[in-house]
Order: sequence, then structure tokens, then C-alpha cells
Amino acid sequence: MEGAFSYAPAIAAFPLVAFVVALAFGKYMPKKGALAGILATAGSLLLSVVMLVAVASGEVYHGTIYEWAVGDALTEVGADGIEFTFGILIDPLSALMLVIVSLVAFLVHVFSLGYMNGEGETGLPRYYAGLGLFTFSMLSFVLADNLLMAFMFFELVGLCSFLLIGFWFRTRSAPSAAKKAFLVTRFGDYFFLIGVVAIASTFGTLQFAGEESFVAAAETAIADGTTLFGFGPETWVTITGLLVLGGVIGKSAQFPLHTWLPDAMEGPTTVSALIHAATMVAAGVYLVARMFGYYAQSPTALSIIAFVGGFTALFAATMGVVKDDIKQVLAYSTISQYGYMMLGMGVGGYVAGVFHLMNHAFFKALLFLGAGSVIVLMHHEQDMWKMGGLKDKAPVTYWTFLAGALALAGIVPFSGFWSKDEVLYDALIVGLEQPVILAAYAMGLLAVFFTGFYTFRMVFLTFHGEPRTDTAENPHSVGWSIKFPLVVLGALALLAGVANLAPVAKLTGMDITYLEFWLDGEYGYVEGLTYHDYHELVAFEEGYISSETVTMLLGAGLSLGLAVAGAVTAHVLYNVPEPTRHTAKLGGAYDVLRSNYYQDEYQVWLAEGLTLPLARAADRFDQTVIDGVVNGVSTASLFGGDRVKRIQTGIVTNYAALLVAGFIALLLVLGFIGGWFL
Amino acid sequence: MSVAAGVEYYVLLSMGLFCIGLFGILTRRNALMFLMSVELMLNAANINLIAFAFYHGNLTGQVFALFTMALAAAEVAVGLGIILVLYRNFRDVDVTVPTTMRW
Amino acid sequence: MMIEALIAVALVGALVTFVAPNRVAGKLAFAISLVPAALSLWMFSAFDGVGNALLEGDLAYESQYEWLELSEYTISWFVGLDGISMPLVVLTTVLCTLAIVSSWTPIDERESQFYGLVLFIEANLIGVFAALDFFVWFIFWEAVLIPMYLLIGVWGGPRRKYAAIKFFVYTNVASLLMFGAFIALVFALPEVTTFALPEIAAAMLAGGPEALFGVAGSTLASIVFVAMFLGFAVKVPVVPFHTWLPDAHVEAPTPASVLLAGVLLKMGTYALLRFNFTMFPDQVAAYSVPIAAIAVISVIYGAMLALAQTDLKRIVAYSSVSSMGYVILGLIAYTQFGVGGATFQMVSHGLISGLMFMAVGVIYNATHTRMVTDMSGLADRMPVAVGILVAGAFGYMGLPLMSGFYGEFTIFFGSFHSQLLEYAPLFTAAAMFGIVIVAGYLLFALQRTVFGPYRLETDYEVGRAPLHDVAPMFVLLGLIILLGVAPELIFEMITDAVDPIIGGEV
Repeated sequence: MEGAFSYAPAIAAFPLVAFVVALAFGKYMPKKGALAGILATAGSLLLSVVMLVAVASGEVYHGTIYEWAVGDALTEVGADGIEFTFGILIDPLSALMLVIVSLVAFLVHVFSLGYMNGEGETGLPRYYAGLGLFTFSMLSFVLADNLLMAFMFFELVGLCSFLLIGFWFRTRSAPSAAKKAFLVTRFGDYFFLIGVVAIASTFGTLQFAGEESFVAAAETAIADGTTLFGFGPETWVTITGLLVLGGVIGKSAQFPLHTWLPDAMEGPTTVSALIHAATMVAAGVYLVARMFGYYAQSPTALSIIAFVGGFTALFAATMGVVKDDIKQVLAYSTISQYGYMMLGMGVGGYVAGVFHLMNHAFFKALLFLGAGSVIVLMHHEQDMWKMGGLKDKAPVTYWTFLAGALALAGIVPFSGFWSKDEVLYDALIVGLEQPVILAAYAMGLLAVFFTGFYTFRMVFLTFHGEPRTDTAENPHSVGWSIKFPLVVLGALALLAGVANLAPVAKLTGMDITYLEFWLDGEYGYVEGLTYHDYHELVAFEEGYISSETVTMLLGAGLSLGLAVAGAVTAHVLYNVPEPTRHTAKLGGAYDVLRSNYYQDEYQVWLAEGLTLPLARAADRFDQTVIDGVVNGVSTASLFGGDRVKRIQTGIVTNYAALLVAGFIALLLVLGFIGGWFL
Repeated sequence: MSVAAGVEYYVLLSMGLFCIGLFGILTRRNALMFLMSVELMLNAANINLIAFAFYHGNLTGQVFALFTMALAAAEVAVGLGIILVLYRNFRDVDVTVPTTMRW
Repeated sequence: MMIEALIAVALVGALVTFVAPNRVAGKLAFAISLVPAALSLWMFSAFDGVGNALLEGDLAYESQYEWLELSEYTISWFVGLDGISMPLVVLTTVLCTLAIVSSWTPIDERESQFYGLVLFIEANLIGVFAALDFFVWFIFWEAVLIPMYLLIGVWGGPRRKYAAIKFFVYTNVASLLMFGAFIALVFALPEVTTFALPEIAAAMLAGGPEALFGVAGSTLASIVFVAMFLGFAVKVPVVPFHTWLPDAHVEAPTPASVLLAGVLLKMGTYALLRFNFTMFPDQVAAYSVPIAAIAVISVIYGAMLALAQTDLKRIVAYSSVSSMGYVILGLIAYTQFGVGGATFQMVSHGLISGLMFMAVGVIYNATHTRMVTDMSGLADRMPVAVGILVAGAFGYMGLPLMSGFYGEFTIFFGSFHSQLLEYAPLFTAAAMFGIVIVAGYLLFALQRTVFGPYRLETDYEVGRAPLHDVAPMFVLLGLIILLGVAPELIFEMITDAVDPIIGGEV
């Protein structure tokens, strides 16, 4: 390892130490482990920034740090050995993600001081240990240089998610939600693991980068037309890519495996901010970005990603419209926003997807923490209909929340506008040539309206109007540890868009699309992992309406107009002193939306209505038929023995008679065989 | 030593003796009669042993016969003991009465 | 002489414990069992075996003495270790020590006999894994049953007699089948004059059996293969020969369950690997599809049965059936990762199922119930024990960085690219669905028992578990994580011993 990169393992190791410290000694520490977590994440943040700077100065790092297992395996492309390793890959993408994750983790740790430590909460060491373990796993996932390592930490963040959602385990709902979150994502991970195993069996390597990577091996196989497991190479790449995508869909809460995320709001709001909005849910999209070179070789897989993304964006946004719980609104908006990222990735808009990932991490963490602040203000009340008028009582919370809301709704010049617009623009230009993508684009576009609507419905109901309850009248106060993260993230929500002002660049010709340069190898880069490498691989045609600029302006105007229209609708309906629900107008649609399109119902039915009875039937079959045969054999022998034993009368004379009879019989038999009687 | 009758006569004698003993065991119910019948059968075996020892011209069979006699004495002692216990428990020496020692 | 020393210490220890007074028996047995544990760990660190014990490998700690002559056949005391048996011996000694500590709380009558039997079982288990002469091996194999029969039958639950007899008769009949088949095979092998397994394996690979009683050699080999497979399948157990296992587990006291799941089940898979999969490569190839089907059915059906249970011990018992299905799948893959992963999974499952049974046992000690429906929110009262139970459950689900994941992953990887098995990817994908069901039933059980509001109808206060109940679980958890992070500790040894088995196939 050279230079700054020799400290890279410490980025993940710090939170691991914090986990151990909080678990073992948290009880005895003044803030119950919070300080250890804050210090560790601050250290990780610092080192992540160092990595970012190192990459900016043109260096990258890719190296193996630990050999997990080695062995012989005759793989489909003819390699005969395989190494499963833990390695570190620091390129522009992972360096950026490291900063995002460690920044949000740090801020959430600070926020937790005010949110969790406040009110005699028990089990805080467990909470901070969970956060530490999560941060360790997430950072290790980001650092991973191969698919297996990525899978392993992908699973571990799932564990942390389980533990933290179930933090309040004494309730009924939290353990249930935790179980559901783990199970649903596990279902996705089942496909992911098949994908990992299949890719390893096919190419004999799981590396993301370099000549030895499975991406490069897939390129070679497609070029050579090698038959893989009886399929053509492209088909097989599509199949394995889609298998891995199963994990992505589970973790990033895409349709149809999105149902766990709203339930996951049972966890502490800080956990929702860190895990279920900014980082863990991003793991899925990050994974797509990480192995984008693989997906880029399969237009089918890309189209499916795009379509699922576009559909999820709209689908989730409509459900967010009717929610009363402030965290539920945010949960559905998270699902919806990750849909946009998937849409961006699916149309080959690698930069746009990563850009939106970054912005979303900031503004959604902000919104969740803001919601956390509101919940503190409201003495742990989450129903928006019981709030109102908090604007004047808590100005810091209000203004930062508003910044996040504007970013989420995609109002210029907040960060969300720039990235969402870029996603939609990339989708549009590809969609003009591909009907499927156009449909995905249309859904994404329509979702913009709903996003603007539910976002501002939330803002107006929470902060505007008259206070609707006594608690809203006299809110609790919040301390610096709550305000500081809000201000930092609020600034980022406003300014992060500067990273990639693509429309401005196109109009003015200035070189200000920094993120694109960043991901395209202007600074440090790893061969084969840059934007233009990917762009060459993606086989989509691009089309324009009259010209590039016109198309861009048209798209941007359309999405901004829809967002504003949504916001204005919300304003008209809900920004009044005494707002009403207005849901009667929706008629039957309201019930459908309110029940989340019955997605939960059918999945619960699959588990409880189908699998469980099937298991019970299997149990009955086992107890009666299989064990019945076993017991039947024993019963038959016992019965036989019971009959035969009656020979034993207890009368000695009978025994003697039997003895003699037996002797004579034996004599006769031997005689026959010996031929005496012939 | 004078030439005696052929070995087959001894075998016939022993067979007869054995059958008498066997008949006694199969038909009598008195434990003492049982014991006597067993003695008869043992002696039938002894006759065989000695006859064949004589026939083969060695002493092995005679030694075995002595063994058998010693064993028979021991067996009678044990047998009489059992009969005494039988009598004490059942007030009878009929072997068909005690049938408790089965399953 | 090291192996003899291991067995002798355990045997003498068993005798000493038998005559020791009840109140010191537990501590005494623990102290004695530390000796083989420490010794086997030292043997592990100084292990210098190369290759497979049956296939001309260099054995570690080998010793061989002529013992008996039966007409032209010679029986000898022949023991030695290779990379497959060494980890299993360590597993046995370590798990026995921990099981003894975990019995301190639940066992409160006839202690000296109980601990004596545990040590006796330990001696026999070491013998099973170390013996390389069929007769010696078979004596140990059968001798394991007796103490386990007594452990279940004397210290067990309400239906202990039924469970103990079922266990004994079922596995014994299976052994009989296997024994008869193997003896027939030995008689049919030309130029074999001993029961030494390496010699028999060499003769099998050199040309196989000749005709015996008018049965052609190849037919005989197939019959023997099937009979031995069935014999061992009962021991493993695989569906549909598994029904003795839940009954035995439910009735057995905690330490007996730990040993039963932790080591006794591995005897079956170990024997499958040693006999069927080493000596009969042609038959393995011929029967690969049905065996793989049995493996997949064991995984899925076992997991489904676990889902339907409400007794914690039954859940873990059925999940053992499911986990052992993975082992069979790995074996039938006949690749280095498949067979090696299967062997790793034997060790890993020994540790994890041992941990689970201990954790369930600790909960039972406190609550006197194992029914999922009877309790709720135990995490409130027993945070440490529940924490370990949750950790163990995740280990069972194959959480990465714990040993279960490595075992399962290598099995899946090994079987996916199997050259021997037709439709290997489909079989693998089907078996892998087990990882979803296992998460389902374990999380479902956890949600209902240890989480939620506290509820348990007792007339006493449920408190934290004592240290000596929790300590062995910590040791196991540490080992599980150690093997998960650094699987090469034993995997290198295992692959070295596995390579000769799969021969040309990679």
C-alpha cells in the first residue's frame, strides 16, 4: 500500500472498534457509547476526505488485503483456480461514497446525542453498538473490490438493519418490522447469492476491476461467443446480472420487494435517516454502479433496471400522497427516489444516477433528521394531523426541513432538481429511441408531480397553519446536537447540486460538470471503470427533439413545471390555517392507496397464508406418514413378538416336548437332505 | 480282556434308557420324578461314553463319564434345592403349577 | 501414541468420574475433559499429515498393531488422522468440554454417571474419527450408541424411553445393514486380507469386487453402495429417515442434544465421505442425481418442517436435517469446494447447532418451557443469553463472517460448477432457497419468544443466566466467528485431504 491509502482499512476499522467498545463498555461510559461512535465516525470521515483528496490528486488504489479462501475450481471459461479475497478498491466512485456514508454516519451519531440520549432510554449501548457495526459494514461494503466481499457486507448491513429496526424490542410492532425487513431483503439476497455463485462458477473471479475482473471476463466471453452453462454469453450475462439485481431490488426497496421499508420506520428516526434513507438502501444502487460495466453489456438487464426504477418511482410516490405519519411519507419518498436512481442507471446515465444518489443521501438524511427533530418537538408524536404551526416555534428545523423539501421536490436551484433532471434527461434521450424506456421515463416524469405534492403537503401540515394540538402549541426544545447536523445537511441540500450543473454547462459551455469529470477519469481513475468506458458499452441509441439543447430545456421545464404544480396543489389544499384531508375526492382510489395497493397483503399471504399452512401440512405428513411407517414397523414387530411369546407357557413339560419335537424335526430334515429315506 | 458284545448293543441299551427318561419327563408332573428321569438320561449318555471309549480303546470317554457323574450329583443337589423352594412356595411339587416365570 | 492417549484419558476419566461422588463429578469431568481438549488442540497445531488417509496420504499420529487373526483376515488396531478427521476430533473434544460445563445447571441427579457417560462418548467419538481399520472403527461406531441411549433414556424428558429406543433401534438397524454390506464387499475384494480401510480403498479403486455368491462384481458394488448409503443416511439423517432425530432431541437433556447434533450427526456424513464417496467413485457418478435430489429435499423439506414447529428444540432439530442436506449436496458435487465445503460445514454446523441447543437449554433452565407460544419478550430478562441466541440464529442463517456462511457458500459454489452432477446449477439454486426459509423460521421464532412485551407465566422471577451457562456459549460464538473470518485455518487442511478423493475432477 502506498501513501494515504495505507490508512484505508482504518476507515472501516474505526467504527468496528466503536462497536466493540460500545458493546463491552458502553454501560459504564458517560454517553453510553455515543462518544466512541462520534469519534470513530469522525475519524472515518477524516480519512474518507483524505481518500477523496488522494483520488483528486490522481491516485487510485486497488489491492487485496486478506485472502479468505483459495482453491481449485474448474470454471466455465476454463480457469482452474479461484481466490476469494477481501480487498480495497478506492476509485472516484468509492471515494465519493465513503465521504457520503461517513459524513451521514457522523452527523447521525451527533444527532443521536440529542435524540436518543435525551429521555432515559435503556439499551443505549446496544443502539450505539448497532450503529457502529452498521457503519463498519457499510464502509466495508463501499470499499469492497469484489462481489463476494460486497455480498458479505451487504448481508451484514441487513443484520444491523434488523437489530436497529428492532431496537425497541419490547413493542409488538418493532420486532415484526425487523423480521419483515430482514426476510424480504433476504429473499432478494437469495437471488444475489445465486448470482455470486454463478458468476464465480462462470468466470472464476469476482473482482470488480482490472484485467482479472469478471466484467472483463464477460466482455471476452461475449467477444468470443463462448457458451456458458448452455446459454449464449449475452444471455448468461443477462441472467446472472438479473440474479444479482434481485439483491439490489431487495436492499434498495424497489418494486416488488419494497414492502419492508415503510415498516422499517418502526426503528428510531436516526436509524431511518442513516440506514433506511441515506446509506444502506443506497447499497443496492451503489452495487449497480460498482458493477455497471457488467450490466452495460446487457441491454435487456439495463431496460429491466430502468423500467423497474421508473415504475417504482411513480408507484411509491402515489402511495406517499395519502400518508398521515411524517416518517411514512418520507419512507415512500425514499422508495420513489431510489426508483429514479435505478431509472438513471438503467438508461446508462451512470453519472446522473450517482449524482442523484449523492444528493438524495444528503437531503433525505436531512429530512429524516428534520422529522426526528419534529418528533422531539412533538413529544414523540408522528401524526402530521396533530402538528401544524411549528414554523415559528422551531425556525432552524423549519428552514432546514424546507431546504430538504425543496431539494426532494426538485425545485431549482436546490440539489435535487439538478440530479433528478439529469436522470430524466438521460431517460428521455434514450427513451426517444426505445419505447420501453420511454414508458419508464413517462412514469418517472409523472412521479415528479406527486413528489412535489406529497412533499409540500408534509411541509404545510407540519409547519404551517395553526397548531392543532396542545403539544404543537408548546413544543419541546431541541439542543445543538440536533440543530448542528440539520444545518450542515441543509447547506448541502442547497449547494450539492453545484457538483454537476450539466444544464448550465450545456447552455454556457463552461466546464463545470465536476462530478462527470470526477467519474470520467479526469482525476484518479481505474482502467475500465470510467463513465466513457461504460458509455461505450451501453448499446442504447440516443435521440433528440430537434436539438440537444431544446430537448434538455424541454425536459427540465416539464419536470420543474410538474414539481411546482404539485407544490402549488399542496399549497392550495393544505396551506390553510385549518386544513382538511380532502381524501373523499379520491373515492375508491383512496382505499387502494391507503392500503399500499395491497402489496403487503399478498406478501403476508404468501408467508402466512401459503407457506405456513404448507409447512403445517408437511409436518402432518411427516408425523403421520413417514413417522407412521417407522412406528408401524415397531408396532408390527411388537405385535408379532406378542403372538410368538405365547409358546412360552411356563410349564416345563411343554418346553421339554418342544425340545424333543424340534430335535425330531431337525433329524428329519437332515435325514431328507442326507438322503436316508430315498 | 475278553471280547465283549458289539458296541451296537450298548447303544441300543443307552437309547432305551434315554427314551425311558424322556418319557418320564414328558409325562410326569412330579418334580422328583423329573429329576429321576433326568438321571436316567444322563446315565444313558454315560453308557454311550463308556461304550465308545471301550470301542476306541482310549480313556477320554471314561473320564467324561466321571465328569458327568460329578455334574449329575451337583445337579441333583441344585434340583432338590429348587424342589424344596417350589414346595415351600406352592405347597406342591407339581411342575405344571408354577408358571409365573414366563413373560 | 497421541490418539491412544486421547482415548485413554477420556476412558480412564470416564471410569474415575463413575466412582466419584455426585457433587464433584461435574467439576472433575470438566477438569479431565480439558486434557483431551488441550491435547487435541496441540495435535491440531502440530498436524503434519498430507493427503487423504485412505488414499496413500501421510497420516499424522499414525499407529498400527496387529490385534486378531480371523482365518485369513487380520484385524489390527490402526488409527491415524488426516485433514478431514483432525478438525472433527478437535470439534469432538472441544464440544464435549463445553457440553460438560453446560450440564452443570440442568443435571441434578446421578451426576457421576452422567458425566462418566459423556466422557465415555467422547472416547468413542474420537475413536470413530481416528480409526482406520474397519473392525476398530465399527466397534467405536456402535459403542457411541450405548452412552447416548442412556443419556437420553435416563436423563431425558417425559417421553425419553420412546425416544431413546427409537434412536437406538433405528440407527442400530441401519448400522447392521451397512455392516453386512461392507463385510460382503470385503469378502468379494481380491487379495484383501485385512480390514484396514486404506487397503480396501486401494482394492476398490484398483478394480473393485469380484463376483460373490453368484452376484457380479459391479452389481455387488452398487448394492453395497446403496446399502451403505442407506445405513449412513439414517445416521445423518436425511429425509425420509429423519424422524428419530426430533424425538431424540426433544427428549434429550441439553448436553446430550449438543453432542447429538454437534458430533453424532457428523459421524454419518463423515462415514459417507470416508466410505461411499471415497471408495465408490463410479457409483457416486451413477447415483448422483438421486442423491442430489435427496439432498435438496432434505434441505427444503427439513426447513419447512422446522417452520411448522412450536417447540424451540424441535425447530433446531429439524433445521439440522436441513443443514445436513447441504452437506450431502456438497459431497455429491464432487468438486474441491463442494466436498471441502461439506467437511467444513460439518465442523461449522457442529459449533452452531451446539450453540443453539445450549442457548435453548439456558432459556429452558430459566423458564422451564420450550414452547414458542408460552413465552415472549425474554430479551428483557435474559439479555446476554438472548443476545447469544440471536447471534447463533444468525450464524445458522449463514451470516457472513460466521462459519456457517463459509460452509454454505463453498458448498453452493462447489456444487454449482460440479462436472459430475447433471443440472448442477438447478439443484444448487433449489437447495439455496433453504437460506430464505431458515431465516423465516428462526426469525419467526425469535420474534415470538425473545422479543415483544415480556410474558411468561411463572411463580418466580426469571433472572440472568449464571456465568458457567453463558461462558461455553461465548467460546462457541468466538470459534464460529473465528472460523468465519479465517476459514483457511481448517479449510487448507481439509482441501489437502479432499483433493485425492475427487482425483482428476476439479
